[in-house]
Amino acid sequence: MATRTVGLSSSPLRSLTSSSSHPPPTRITPTLSFASRLKPALALPLLSATPRRSARPRSPRVSAALKNLSETVPVSVPADSGELVRRFPSASGVYAVHDGEGGLQFVGISRNIAASIAGHRRSVPELCCSVKVGVVDEPDRAALTQAWKSWMEEHMTATGKVPPGNESGNTTWIRQPPKKKPDLRLTPGRHMQLTVPLEELIDQLVKENKVVAFIKGSRSAPMCGFSQRVIGILESEGVDYESVDVLDEEYNCGLRETLKKYTNWPTFPQVFVDGELVGGCDILSSMFEKGELSSLFKK
Amino acid sequence: MGVTKEQVESSLTSNLKPLHLEVTDISGGCGASFSVEIVSEQFEGKRLLERHRLVNAALQEEMKQIHALSIKIAMTPEQWKQQQESAETKSEA
Repeated sequence: MATRTVGLSSSPLRSLTSSSSHPPPTRITPTLSFASRLKPALALPLLSATPRRSARPRSPRVSAALKNLSETVPVSVPADSGELVRRFPSASGVYAVHDGEGGLQFVGISRNIAASIAGHRRSVPELCCSVKVGVVDEPDRAALTQAWKSWMEEHMTATGKVPPGNESGNTTWIRQPPKKKPDLRLTPGRHMQLTVPLEELIDQLVKENKVVAFIKGSRSAPMCGFSQRVIGILESEGVDYESVDVLDEEYNCGLRETLKKYTNWPTFPQVFVDGELVGGCDILSSMFEKGELSSLFKK
Repeated sequence: MGVTKEQVESSLTSNLKPLHLEVTDISGGCGASFSVEIVSEQFEGKRLLERHRLVNAALQEEMKQIHALSIKIAMTPEQWKQQQESAETKSEA
């Protein structure tokens, strides 16, 4: 320990915190450990001692490793999503979102804290100014719930109020299910005479909307594995996209053949970005795996 | 009915002169779906979409009977070499 103090930093507190950080050390861990600055002598020995108490039930261990809400230092949420993912851990745990005035808006549980925060930042940027994060080791459901409860109880004891985002009926922080958005229809119905050729309707649609996916089935219930995979990729990228069901014979009659000609592409799904065909399932999957998609959607 | 793996291979070979080609029948033998790995110089400077178009064009006749064609890899020789090397270093480590 003494050599570490010399080798690592000038402050003995720092050497203590870094040696007690949990494996694997995520980027957030040092910041979190600093949160215990208020009473390091108490918090740190607890941290290092807990793993040995294996006979004890799990919940005390969690509450010992997890800092109190008030002790946890808030981390500001950057606008850039790449920076955001670097700043927050993608581990499991609890997180508490604060608005610009430092007011607690919402306490949530996540299996990927960084991704959850990125999602909130996209949907309610004005409410996501800073976030306190508590990583839960051995994150089974009970441990996560316990961690969430302890933060909620702490806040309610201190203020007498439930965070607004956690009040029942508030859906601000809940990920909206994909089916909320209807699939687009190209025509008013197959018995209506079109005044413009279908090609032109396709052309308008893909140019007016940033991202359009032509899929088999609806976005809430894709009828083909490839379409489903494409929807899954778009959802996980958090893209705001439009979908068109090419199997809908009532409102998109003749679309399959016309679209194939329009794009000179033989299969579905077909995904457009800024009016240009990006590709089908194989191309999207491959770009997704290489991390090329987020830059494409960002532009 | 159906297309054989050999037909797919010969069409791709004659059209795209691949450096590496692997065609797999994933339909369970009825010849309706294939997955393809292909490395060709003709992909140089082309986007993934254009590469897939080249493959689809090369299989124009066969595509009429193929239900699903999954192009797993469409790389230039340069990219292929890089991937092989990184795969090797991974397996060594």
